[in-house]
Amino acid sequence: MTAPRRLRKELVDLQESSLKSFRDIKADDDNLLRWTGLIVPDNPPYNKGAFRIEINFPAEYPFKPPKISFKTKIYHPNIDEKGQVCLPIISTENWKPATRTDQVVQALIALINDPEPEHPLRAELAEEFLKDKKKFVKNAEDYTRKHSEKRPAD
Amino acid sequence: MADENGQATGAASRAGNDSLDATQSVTNIAGSNPNLPGTSASIAAVAVAGASGTANGGSGSNGTGSSNQGYYQLSVTIEEASLRNNGFLKPNPYVELLIDSKSKRKTDLVKNSYLPKWNEEFTVLITPNSTLHFKVLDHSSFRKDAMLGERVIQLSHILHHYNGRCEYLELTIDLFVTSKSDNRQTKSGELVAILNGLKLDMSKVGQLQQNGTAVQAINPVVSDAAAAGRSCMIYGGVRARMRLRSNNAEPPAATRSPLSNGVNQEQRRSAAPPIWEQQQQQQQQVAQPQQPLRMSNGTGAAAVPQTAPYPQQPPAPVQQRPVSQSPLYVNGSIENGGQANYMLGGAPDQAVCGAGLPVSNGADPQLQTQPAEDELLPAGWEIRLDQYGRRYYVDHNTRSTYWEKPTPLPPGWEIRKDVRGRVYYVDHNTRKTTWQRPNSERLMHFQHWQGQRAHVVAQGNQRFLYSQQQQQPTAVTAQVTQDDEDALGPLPDGWEKKVQSDNRVYFVNHKNRTTQWEDPRTQGQEVSLINEGPLPPGWEIRYTAAGERFFVDHNTRRTTFEDPRPGAPKGAKGVYGVPRAYERSFRWKLSQFRYLCQSNALPSHIKITVTRQTLFEDSYHQIMRLPAYELRRRLYIIFRGEEGLDYGGVSREWFFLLSHEVLNPMYCLFEYANKNNYSLQINPASYVNPDHLQYFKFIGRFIAMALYHGRFIYSGFTMPFYKRMLNKKLTIKDIETIDPEFYNSLIWVRDNNIDECGLELWFSVDFEVLGQIIHHELKENGEKERVTEENKEEYITLMTEWRMTRGIEQQTKTFLEGFNEVVPLEWLKYFDERELELILCGMQDVDVEDWQRNTIYRHYNRNSKQVVWFWQFVRETDNEKRARLLQFVTGTCRVPVGGFAELMGSNGPQRFCIEKVGKETWLPRSHTCFNRLDLPPYKSYDQLVEKLTFAIEETEGFCQE
Repeated sequence: MTAPRRLRKELVDLQESSLKSFRDIKADDDNLLRWTGLIVPDNPPYNKGAFRIEINFPAEYPFKPPKISFKTKIYHPNIDEKGQVCLPIISTENWKPATRTDQVVQALIALINDPEPEHPLRAELAEEFLKDKKKFVKNAEDYTRKHSEKRPAD
Repeated sequence: MADENGQATGAASRAGNDSLDATQSVTNIAGSNPNLPGTSASIAAVAVAGASGTANGGSGSNGTGSSNQGYYQLSVTIEEASLRNNGFLKPNPYVELLIDSKSKRKTDLVKNSYLPKWNEEFTVLITPNSTLHFKVLDHSSFRKDAMLGERVIQLSHILHHYNGRCEYLELTIDLFVTSKSDNRQTKSGELVAILNGLKLDMSKVGQLQQNGTAVQAINPVVSDAAAAGRSCMIYGGVRARMRLRSNNAEPPAATRSPLSNGVNQEQRRSAAPPIWEQQQQQQQQVAQPQQPLRMSNGTGAAAVPQTAPYPQQPPAPVQQRPVSQSPLYVNGSIENGGQANYMLGGAPDQAVCGAGLPVSNGADPQLQTQPAEDELLPAGWEIRLDQYGRRYYVDHNTRSTYWEKPTPLPPGWEIRKDVRGRVYYVDHNTRKTTWQRPNSERLMHFQHWQGQRAHVVAQGNQRFLYSQQQQQPTAVTAQVTQDDEDALGPLPDGWEKKVQSDNRVYFVNHKNRTTQWEDPRTQGQEVSLINEGPLPPGWEIRYTAAGERFFVDHNTRRTTFEDPRPGAPKGAKGVYGVPRAYERSFRWKLSQFRYLCQSNALPSHIKITVTRQTLFEDSYHQIMRLPAYELRRRLYIIFRGEEGLDYGGVSREWFFLLSHEVLNPMYCLFEYANKNNYSLQINPASYVNPDHLQYFKFIGRFIAMALYHGRFIYSGFTMPFYKRMLNKKLTIKDIETIDPEFYNSLIWVRDNNIDECGLELWFSVDFEVLGQIIHHELKENGEKERVTEENKEEYITLMTEWRMTRGIEQQTKTFLEGFNEVVPLEWLKYFDERELELILCGMQDVDVEDWQRNTIYRHYNRNSKQVVWFWQFVRETDNEKRARLLQFVTGTCRVPVGGFAELMGSNGPQRFCIEKVGKETWLPRSHTCFNRLDLPPYKSYDQLVEKLTFAIEETEGFCQE
């Protein structure tokens, strides 16, 4: 099978590369098309927590891009209340079959660390981010403390 | 009250001695023969008839004495209603209650509500044979109050059910409205009322029984269904249960009558014991207390309490005909012959729904008030946790698991199983069934589809093509002489060549009994193509992937579309002012096609009689019953109950309505391609419908009939689908119109070196239909063959073919078979795919103002020279050109119902867009997914017209120089 063969390889590669900011990567036992992992951001205000994400690959992968969603609530202009995230690298216009999941994850981590208020999913947070950064940071920190997962010990 | 009751009881015991005896004896018979309920039921019916005869005699002697005492007091509390939301304004409902069509009582009105609560109690005088007429009306201060729903209830049914006791008896009554146009009753809501304070001696009631319909008063089945707190069905659309008031409310020992009309009684008599047992189980299920379903902890679905399904049928006499039916649906189940199902009248007709788990539906007021309830699951579903503590959902109905939380069935829906154990879904709101679980997306599609209905006929009247008078049959076409014969190869299967008495050759198509002058092998090709002289030396004819002929000059290594031979029309312009090679005369082609239709017309006519509500089924059965060639007779369409002779108008309406009907998303036969432009393609998920191939054959026939009889259909198919009808090869470019994402990836593979980037592509692919992953090997052992730079061309070809046919091959084949039975596919060869859309859907006056108003520009503005010229061209050209321009840019000649403002692209609304791209030597290009025209900055109006005409007259591939 096309997708699983490539995904198995990508999964092993990702696990072996042991990224600091993306850990605990695993696929469902019976469904290689569904992965979960833990995003561990470096930059404040998110560096006090960790965020679980889910990556769903379509059966037609790599002809169609994967979809990413946050399972942990996060206070971020580019991630909405449902955990949906708008990531250009996996949009219809930009997707290339050669794009690998580690690139997608890197792009995601970069977006978490440095929000892009110019392309917000949550306009009110983007506005706060631009107009009152201090308040935004405080809110995001509080929110992270309240909702996020524990960061791994090491 | 007590006095009254006391009197009543006394009167009853005096008057009803004889009948009391009779009743007891009946009960004894039934009781003594518990294993043969069918038999006992029949005996019971006979015995009761005898008993009431006796009783009547008895009452006759007592008649005068009891006439005043025949009235009893009954307290009726009108509690609340839930009304269907089907208007713009919320109603101001109030209830009128009539006893035996008089003594009107009214509640106050509740303003602006679909869920009015009144809680008003009325004490009324009744006899055991009284009728209670509940009317829910909408108060209007300046008009006559409108009926929101009504129901007449025979008190006797309820009394028999509950052995003469009405104590805190809660009735949930389905309300119906009768349509003025066709007298059809539709459910419009539910009313909850409480009957209280009545106690009758049932022996008296048996005697009072006067109308024949309630003869089966005494039922052999003694169950505890009527016990306090349990809900049971009285008859279609009326449920009752005793409200638990206090601990001392002892459950009355009532006899329960699961069936309440005589016809059904007969049905039951003939039923075999095993079914009977099943039915009894069913009754037990029905008798479960109503309560919304909650999360069940690890237990099976069986432990989950189910809400009783609600019956849906008005007790209209027609529906009382005997049908084999689900016992849950006492009065004419929804599977009744006359009902429209989204499945063919197959298995579900006999649905026993033994395992059908009724689903809690939104009509349950408790459910409606708890939308926030997190773990509300449909019946038969369960939440489990996997080893990581993640939640997943088990559907015990279909034995499948899902990660996504199931959305509960929408209000009024129910899940059932047919005799073959297949799960299907019943929509009690519309009394229809479907194989697919209704989710919000599907319902949205359905609503969208339904919303179109109002416009459908209006749209139909706007469509036109050239009028018939203009289409003078021009009979003479290529006569094939004996010499050409061999070069053309054998005739298609089923064809025969014959010679007329005047030696003129003609062709017989035995498959569908047509004749024609033209050779089917060369049909639609221009005569000149057959008798061509030799090419100059060094030249070669080739064809593009789209089948377009072009010429290669090996001397200069150039290619051209212009025929280099002397005699071939030179220069850019042919007779019609466009290059000869691309010349078309749509009218000429159309007249050829019409001529074939006319010359193969059969005498006489066929009648197709349909009911509007069951348009699809009625049409299906009649069209499939006839031999296909008969469908070429003149059509005479009759809408039942509507007078009118079909001089064309009725059948025009029929074609338009039915074509809209077959696209009903609930049949899941077709789907919109790529959310964009409302073009239809075959839905790969259509296989869930066990009869889908029969349907596709029917639709094939029907579409052919539309072409043959010169009628239009509502909405067209995708261009690749038309190409398939024309037996044209599908190219990679065709994927773009139906799946741009896939297309982009395939193009990326084509245009990049794939050896170094770890694509891990093999000659095997997966795709998903209805949650199932379907694996396909592109070639033998494809699983083991890696795609490389070397073999990727083959891979792309195979992928293209697979992408365009996956999951729909069988359906397409059957569609074409059905089509070909009525109109030989050869007859279409005159046309290209875009012309095919035009003759099928007709043209439409395009509102250029609206078009221009809703157009956006990129790198141009509305005052740019080229933009001004563009609109000048659009205004000056004719409707056919406009339609083709629209097809070129948006993929279809159809304009959305709401005008250009509603134009859709692949990612949602997408206005018509003109973008400045390229150089003046380029041809215009289009991106149908984005409704975008790339218009180079031409230097003059004439140049723009020439290039644009060239581009829109051309097939794809051309527009990219």
